[in-house]
Amino acid sequence: MHSYILRRLAFGALAVVGVSIVVFVVLRILPGDPLVAIFGPEGFSKLSEAERARYMADLGLSDPLPVQYLHWVQDIVRGDFGRSFFRAESVADMISRRGPLTAEIALISVVLSWLVGIPVAVVSALRPNSVADNVLRFLSILFLAVPGFWLGMLIVLGLLFVFGYRAPLASVSLFDDPWANLQIVIGPAIVLGLAQAAYIARMARSSLLEVIREDYIRTARAKGLNRRVVVAMHALPNALLPVITLSGILLGFVLAGSIPVERAFGTPGLGYAMALAVSERDVFVMQNLVFLYAVVFVVLNLAVDLISAWLDPRIRYA
Amino acid sequence: MSTATHDAALAQPPLAHAAQLSLVRRIARRLRWFARRSPMSAFWGVIAAAIVVMALSAPAIAPYDPLKSDFRAMSKPPSERHYFGSDQIGRDTLSRVIHGSRASLTVAIGAVVLGTTLGALWGLACGYFGGRFDIISQRAIEFMQSFPDLILAMAIAMALGAGIGTVIVAIAITRIPFGGRVIRAVVLSLKELSYVEAARGLGASHLRIMAQHILPQCIAPYLILATTHLGVAIIIEASLGFLGVGIPPPTPTWGNMLADSLNAGLVPPWWLVLFPGAAITITVLAFNLLGDGIRDALDPRLRRAV
Repeated sequence: MHSYILRRLAFGALAVVGVSIVVFVVLRILPGDPLVAIFGPEGFSKLSEAERARYMADLGLSDPLPVQYLHWVQDIVRGDFGRSFFRAESVADMISRRGPLTAEIALISVVLSWLVGIPVAVVSALRPNSVADNVLRFLSILFLAVPGFWLGMLIVLGLLFVFGYRAPLASVSLFDDPWANLQIVIGPAIVLGLAQAAYIARMARSSLLEVIREDYIRTARAKGLNRRVVVAMHALPNALLPVITLSGILLGFVLAGSIPVERAFGTPGLGYAMALAVSERDVFVMQNLVFLYAVVFVVLNLAVDLISAWLDPRIRYA
Repeated sequence: MSTATHDAALAQPPLAHAAQLSLVRRIARRLRWFARRSPMSAFWGVIAAAIVVMALSAPAIAPYDPLKSDFRAMSKPPSERHYFGSDQIGRDTLSRVIHGSRASLTVAIGAVVLGTTLGALWGLACGYFGGRFDIISQRAIEFMQSFPDLILAMAIAMALGAGIGTVIVAIAITRIPFGGRVIRAVVLSLKELSYVEAARGLGASHLRIMAQHILPQCIAPYLILATTHLGVAIIIEASLGFLGVGIPPPTPTWGNMLADSLNAGLVPPWWLVLFPGAAITITVLAFNLLGDGIRDALDPRLRRAV
């Protein structure tokens, strides 16, 4: 187990370095002038050559690329995530102020996805091809097709029309006012949770159908245990292994999905900040936030790998 | 099978007519078989085809010009004149939804074909040659997969600047790892089969073995991959449009329309939200279910998995 953990950790570290290079290549080296991004094509054409050169030097963009990369890595190691062109707020403040909301949304959505997805999968798998199974399968296919941000907009509109209700827009911490905080995060969490539940239900259903055919399940039934006990105690624990892996991957996709979904709800989380940064073409904020999201994604996947290896010895000895 | 018939038709001009007829019949028979086997997929396949036809004939079937604003009909709810209502500068929503299908399908098909093809070629090379090239490639693919699709696509689309080509490239890059992994796995299992070994023993060149003996076996997984990724590509395209890094306005795309609706006032009018989103959902649903059907038809072994 120790060697497995070490191997995974080493790979995680390598992945973080690889990810930083990809981010740097995508946002700094690909064609597209950062000054055009900042000032817009019109503003850019109004700048004189000297002004352009001065801005490039100020932003550290006239150094050689490897130097720029090292500067960036140094800044991040020091905890300096730079600041926005358009707002006074530094990216570090943005993360500490808005990050918790997005983290809450992600966690609640994962919990919801299990609460909805697993029972659905059990109902489906116990009576495959029944009416209930077909309805539930169609619903899960439907939720894979519905864009989360659209569902979010519909929910906001629906609540407004029917109840005249609108979730609070100002950021409130969970500890100051839990009720207001819940109203902010619950909408995005439900939308993102349902999307994940669709994937989880599909995966858990097929995994359960496979496990149920195994000999040890027949043995358990043959010794007289009732169906529910067999499913709950014998089949589910084994069937859930691939679901745990999937859930970890989905958690990463929730972080990405929360960008348009928070925009749709007007949630003051990190996803909304990212949506703003991308629409304003705020290159440096994007660079750091994209890197942050990718690192979180790598760490989550690492955690999921370790958890699955802990639960299933076959993985660590493979 | 149908391509073989087609080749025969080309080779024998006098019989061309008869051969062509049997080609049509063969296709019809295959379609009937597909429809009987999975009526659900066939039904959604028809809808997918209808959407493609809608996109191709958009200027003919849209009641108005999607870019033309009518200042006498601004922010009007659905009515006899405008079935889906009109937006804040008086453009007809129905016409914009119809025209939006063009952007969506162009980007989705372009990105999936480009990304899956590049990935497949990469995977073919990795699987066939193995060794250091394969190891480095696998790490590179893992790094690319360390980003959620949407975030990578957002970053690339933003860095490259607005435009339809940019969006296609941005989404295509996120599709490369999938093609690379699946095709590599297929090639690894094929490489050891005795007919490939026999070809190698007869002195066939690497290029010949790859093109003649391995590539044909990759076609089914390639088609399955491409069709199953169309839906995802459509959703990413819509999300990019919604976030303002998609195809720039005024081109009507479903994502742009939803983004526009947020700027239409404090509360977006419901018809500006409902119709473009419904169009996305129906299109993605149609392509996903068609993809499932194609996968079942081409690779029965995978049926159990989903």
